[in-house]
Amino acid sequence: MANSENLSHWLLPIGCGLLSCGLFIGVWEIVGRDSANAITQVLPPPSQFLPVLLESDFKVGLGAQSATIYQSVAVTLIRVSVGMAIAFVGSILCGLLISLSKWSELFILPLLGLIAPIAPIAWVPLALVVFGVSNLTAIFIVFMGVFFTLTIATVAEIKRVPENLLMTAQNLGGSSFNRWRWVIVPAVLPGVFTLLRLNFIAAWMAVLAAEMTGLRDGLGTVVMTGRNLFNSDLILLGICIIGITGFTVDRLLLMIQRRFFWWQV
Amino acid sequence: MGANMFFWKRWLNAMPSARPPNASALSSTTSSVTVSAPSSLSTSSRFSASSASDYGSASPILACRNLSKSFREGKHTSTILADVNLDIAAGDFVTILGQSGGGKSTLLKLLGGFMPLSQGDVLFHGIALKGITPRIGMVFQENTLYPWLTVAQNIGFGFKIKGKKPAQYKAQVQEVLEKVGLAQAQKLFPYQLSGGMKQRVSIARSIAVKPDVLLLDEPFSALDVQLRRRLQLFLYAVWQETGTTMVLVTHNVEEAILLGQQLIVIGSKPGKIIERVDISKAHFRDRYDSQFLSLQRHLETVIEGDVNPL
Repeated sequence: MANSENLSHWLLPIGCGLLSCGLFIGVWEIVGRDSANAITQVLPPPSQFLPVLLESDFKVGLGAQSATIYQSVAVTLIRVSVGMAIAFVGSILCGLLISLSKWSELFILPLLGLIAPIAPIAWVPLALVVFGVSNLTAIFIVFMGVFFTLTIATVAEIKRVPENLLMTAQNLGGSSFNRWRWVIVPAVLPGVFTLLRLNFIAAWMAVLAAEMTGLRDGLGTVVMTGRNLFNSDLILLGICIIGITGFTVDRLLLMIQRRFFWWQV
Repeated sequence: MGANMFFWKRWLNAMPSARPPNASALSSTTSSVTVSAPSSLSTSSRFSASSASDYGSASPILACRNLSKSFREGKHTSTILADVNLDIAAGDFVTILGQSGGGKSTLLKLLGGFMPLSQGDVLFHGIALKGITPRIGMVFQENTLYPWLTVAQNIGFGFKIKGKKPAQYKAQVQEVLEKVGLAQAQKLFPYQLSGGMKQRVSIARSIAVKPDVLLLDEPFSALDVQLRRRLQLFLYAVWQETGTTMVLVTHNVEEAILLGQQLIVIGSKPGKIIERVDISKAHFRDRYDSQFLSLQRHLETVIEGDVNPL
């Protein structure tokens, strides 16, 4: 009984998800079978664009600039994760520092509130000037897209820590530093990590936009190469990989959250 | 103390859940356990012949002198406590009763140094209390456990927060876990515990660092009646075992009489002590005893009489 409940608990969402994806692709394939169809020109079905991968030996791009799909995925993922990791650690540290004093909160929070809504893509031209066409540019853009929102969230989370938990720690003889380290940091981690996961989409879009506009490698570049070559197969291949990779990372972050940051304060 | 380290588990197990009238659990006749005062206590201080008028002993562990507390609300100030004098003898169990919002919790927080005083002094071992100290422990009503730590880690938190390494306090934590009967649950997280278990862990964590005084701010008021009774017995057993001075704030008169040696009633607006009863010599810790009931009625009358006519 418990087993079958467990099974449906796990299998039902996965099964339904796979089924809807399968149906979607099926309909797409049927519509796209007719090569004279205008839709097929723009949106070639998977059976048409996936073989591109094999034909080109998993390589996309022109001459010396060509890179394998794995490299593109890896480059983009590394940029996003490094940017997000720096933003996560940085925003918790900054949040803690800001929360140390009422005045720093009053002075710094409005600034952050002003910078946070700036779309990360808007930083691209500036970043290109400062960092040039490099990984740093992409990492910077991801960082800018996530850091300010997360810092504001950290300050809010620190305010939410129940006073009893702090007073108990003080009552047990904890120094101020130890109270920050052993009570406040663990108390705010889950909330901030949840927001990091929600912000991943923003970071993901930011880095792709950066790759499309300025950088010469990564998943965004695959799509741009397709555009430059008028190659719909390549564009859709890029889009597909972006979707699948994004989904995978989101699930991965969810797993990390459930495994390491599961508690609620 | 080591010899009767496990006594309260036996004692609790021996307790019927619903006690028949006259089978007084805490009286000196039924149990071999309850009479023995913890060895760390001087019998004279606990069973001194103090009356309501000269309440208190020569050298109280915790005392307040002319204690006042007021809060500013906009332009006018409201006085929560006015001119409170209280002596708490070492090893005593004091229960503080009163109306909701009448200043009992404020008094407790002041006694623990959790709030600045407006006037007067809180004396701990005869010296003015400067602020929160680990020697005066506090158990809150809720939100007391760290949700990311297991039961054992929560109990060891008092050592960890002082920067000690787990190896240094592991044995002490195990000892406390055994003492309070939580060894089975040591690897569980707070979300896996019932409300009663949480409060047991909370009390155990405070006891683990061996405070001189333990303050309890309505620790059982979120629990249902059955659980509450079990926790009361648990707390009483902890008191007997450790000899820690306890100050319990409660709005439950029955609980106050059941546990307290000294009963204090705080009147409201402004808060001051309106009744003191010393029952350290009384042997009627059965809630159906006629003396118990008449004291309960008396205290309830005092508390209800305190309500300001509107």
